[in-house]
Amino acid sequence: MLPHLGAAHGLARHLTGNDADADDVVQEAYLRALRHFGGFRGNGAAQSRGWMLTIVRNTAFTWRRRRRPEAEAAEFDETLHSETAGEDFGEELARRDSRETLAHALGRLPPDLREVIVLRELEGLSYKEIGDVVDVPIGTVMSRLSRARQRLQAALLAGKEG
Amino acid sequence: MSHPDVETRIDAYLDGELAPPDAAEVEAHLAECGRCRRFQADRLALRAALEGVMPRREPADALRVRVRNAIAAELPMLELPARERPLSLAGVAAPTAAARPARQATWRWLALAASVAVVAVGSWRLGAARAGSLVLADQVVASHVRSLMPGHLSDVVSSDQHTVKPWFDGKLDFSPPVHDFAGRGYPLLGGRLDYMDGRPVAALVYGRRRHVVSVFVWPAREPERDAAPVTRNGYHVLHWATPEFSYWVTSDIGLAELKDFGGMLRLADSATSGARAER
Repeated sequence: MLPHLGAAHGLARHLTGNDADADDVVQEAYLRALRHFGGFRGNGAAQSRGWMLTIVRNTAFTWRRRRRPEAEAAEFDETLHSETAGEDFGEELARRDSRETLAHALGRLPPDLREVIVLRELEGLSYKEIGDVVDVPIGTVMSRLSRARQRLQAALLAGKEG
Repeated sequence: MSHPDVETRIDAYLDGELAPPDAAEVEAHLAECGRCRRFQADRLALRAALEGVMPRREPADALRVRVRNAIAAELPMLELPARERPLSLAGVAAPTAAARPARQATWRWLALAASVAVVAVGSWRLGAARAGSLVLADQVVASHVRSLMPGHLSDVVSSDQHTVKPWFDGKLDFSPPVHDFAGRGYPLLGGRLDYMDGRPVAALVYGRRRHVVSVFVWPAREPERDAAPVTRNGYHVLHWATPEFSYWVTSDIGLAELKDFGGMLRLADSATSGARAER
């Protein structure tokens, strides 16, 4: 009976970085949606999903400003590397290693880059839909996605070499 | 094109967000630039790795219950008019003019929630079918692209439906519907055998200006349906199933044009299947 709860939760988890905060954001977002449903224009599952994700995203931003001002300052570290070298531990460990490296790098992306990559890779939104949620032109979506991927790739590479 | 610019475009290309002419330009560049091919390979590896990092996790039931309770707690605050309140609350407050928009909002929300709940139940059942469907869409595009390589387009080259249709006799265990739409700008170019979804199928080839449209047909093993169009690397894919046949149609022409063509195919099919039924 709750539309788009999975998508809302997925986005909130990546924007807040942990499950407890994500749950708070999701609950707050649904209450906001309920209060402002009159502001919803359009119909169909895809549009209402975009609308719901927009609210989740804005709620997460309010939450971040209120609760964790220092999180805004967290900057991505290009020299990031994993703690153990994969070499001696076989391929599986190396793979798990690179996954941890990547997850870590994702969590450390600046919010404006993290949200576009999550909307694209987790929710499969089109550039147009992402632009609507984040409220930027499609060209900006494109360049942010590219920058986000560039940083993740760099982290992955650094992880392998480290 | 400068390299940072090309790289952004390769990203957009891999996301299926480039218009066919731009996609062709990127492909041409990839063909001659080893550095960009390595970039593309790295990106594909990153995408695969990201899938492992961002698994789709169903929210816990606890969250579902919690949000639903929060909404239930919020609903009385929305000043429902007296007749919509629970009995115990009726008469506590007289309905006001301000209550009207709130009430509408609630109704629309609940209507949305209900409609999406239906969709959710439907997609739960169709989940497996849809995953299979996406794999098939990839197969359809791959076969179409392969067929465009020199010498692969058709096994039987003919613009005459009465040549193409009998050609399939003895090669397939069904007789595919073959129509010619030359009069409407989609001449029949020929047909070939293909293999999809674990069975031999008919592939019909139509022309559209200098583009090619592939139509794959086989006896339906799924309920009647009309799937949403998908796009793969600049190729649009339409799929629908009649009681008799599964249809997959793909081309790099515009989606609106392709849908027009799909409409003609459907119309022709329903006309002939009606005739078959009467016999």
